[in-house]
Amino acid sequence: MGLPISPHPPAPAGLLDRFAAERVTGALRGPHGCFYLLDGAVTCVEDAAAPGIDVRLSAAGKVPPQGWRYAAERAGPQRRGGQFLVSEGWLTQGELEVCHLAALLDAAFFALPLPPDATSFTPGTAHWLGVVRPVSAAALQQATARRRALLDRLRRWAAADTSPVVAVPTDDRAPAPTSRQRRLLAHADGRRTPYELARTLGQSAFVTLLDVRRLAAAGLVRMPPAPGGLPRRRPGASLDGSAPPAAAGPRPPTWQLPVPDVLHTADPDIALLVRLRTALEENL
Amino acid sequence: MPGIDQVLSQAMGIPGVLGAALIDWTSGLTLGTAGRAPHGDHDAAAADTADVVQAVARNATFDTSGGTDGPALEDLIITAAGSYHLIRFVHTAFDSQTYLYLWLDRAQANLAVARLRLRDLAAELVPS
Repeated sequence: MGLPISPHPPAPAGLLDRFAAERVTGALRGPHGCFYLLDGAVTCVEDAAAPGIDVRLSAAGKVPPQGWRYAAERAGPQRRGGQFLVSEGWLTQGELEVCHLAALLDAAFFALPLPPDATSFTPGTAHWLGVVRPVSAAALQQATARRRALLDRLRRWAAADTSPVVAVPTDDRAPAPTSRQRRLLAHADGRRTPYELARTLGQSAFVTLLDVRRLAAAGLVRMPPAPGGLPRRRPGASLDGSAPPAAAGPRPPTWQLPVPDVLHTADPDIALLVRLRTALEENL
Repeated sequence: MPGIDQVLSQAMGIPGVLGAALIDWTSGLTLGTAGRAPHGDHDAAAADTADVVQAVARNATFDTSGGTDGPALEDLIITAAGSYHLIRFVHTAFDSQTYLYLWLDRAQANLAVARLRLRDLAAELVPS
């Protein structure tokens, strides 16, 4: 008999676990996100990358834009902003809870993991929205890990996360997008990055990244061409003798996504063209 | 108007119900539970049903609403020996990815009744 193997090797406890174990109340601020805790449970999360409950509800036309300032002012020292939104008739209790949890989960994905050396803690601070529906730190971290695993399966297309993607004209052989993806394609104008698309549409930044990576994998979006275009042939330039033209500044990044599987073709002519295109793009 | 807990406690009144939950399908996070779960584990039930929902939601095959803005998916039914697993998408005007999950005793439950009651409860949680 060998030694029993523990099915769950103990993970190094993060800051959030420690604060949960100590049942602290206050605001834990990271480099771009903030966790609000009540007795160690997470009541609210904000992150610069994820559209908050205000952006989501304003995009859906649920709360007028000026309503947010009004609600924050009326929240008072008891921090009952969420209840105020419901009492004004803008939301039902169910809508408040579901939208709040969706925004909290999305923000946690981008705010975690918290780097221990770049966080600050303000004891006692609460969010003006109040305590709507607390989530345990353990459950939140587990949910975030599952989301990360989903995104990691499409790691090859990670370059699309921060690029202003543009929809590719397709033919009938292209895989059909879902209705959510069709909406993204309609807004993929080559100017906005997936993060900006999420904010414009008031939707989950995580789901937007996942959909854009899936669209890139299917060949339905691409990155815009690198600025500058192809180098021009200069009159008089030749291979023998003359110095190559000096590169102006650092090379621009390669704006290339992996070629989707649909281009892996048996036709030798098309395969040659695809290889040629890839080689040309690599030299941009 | 009811919140998550009230809706789940009403779901427990559906004939043949063993347990109910509200779950986020992009992460398997449990947003609320009532009653029992298969093998006594609500978190495992949430993670496992979320896997099923993801497989359905990411494929255009099941998204045949024809490009209108209306909700594409309504519910999923898994029939197993002794039980039904009923999953109802919660449609919201704002962006969210949640579903109601009902675990039913097959000998006691009426699937058609449970489906209609769960549809009404989803609409009560988030009126459209």
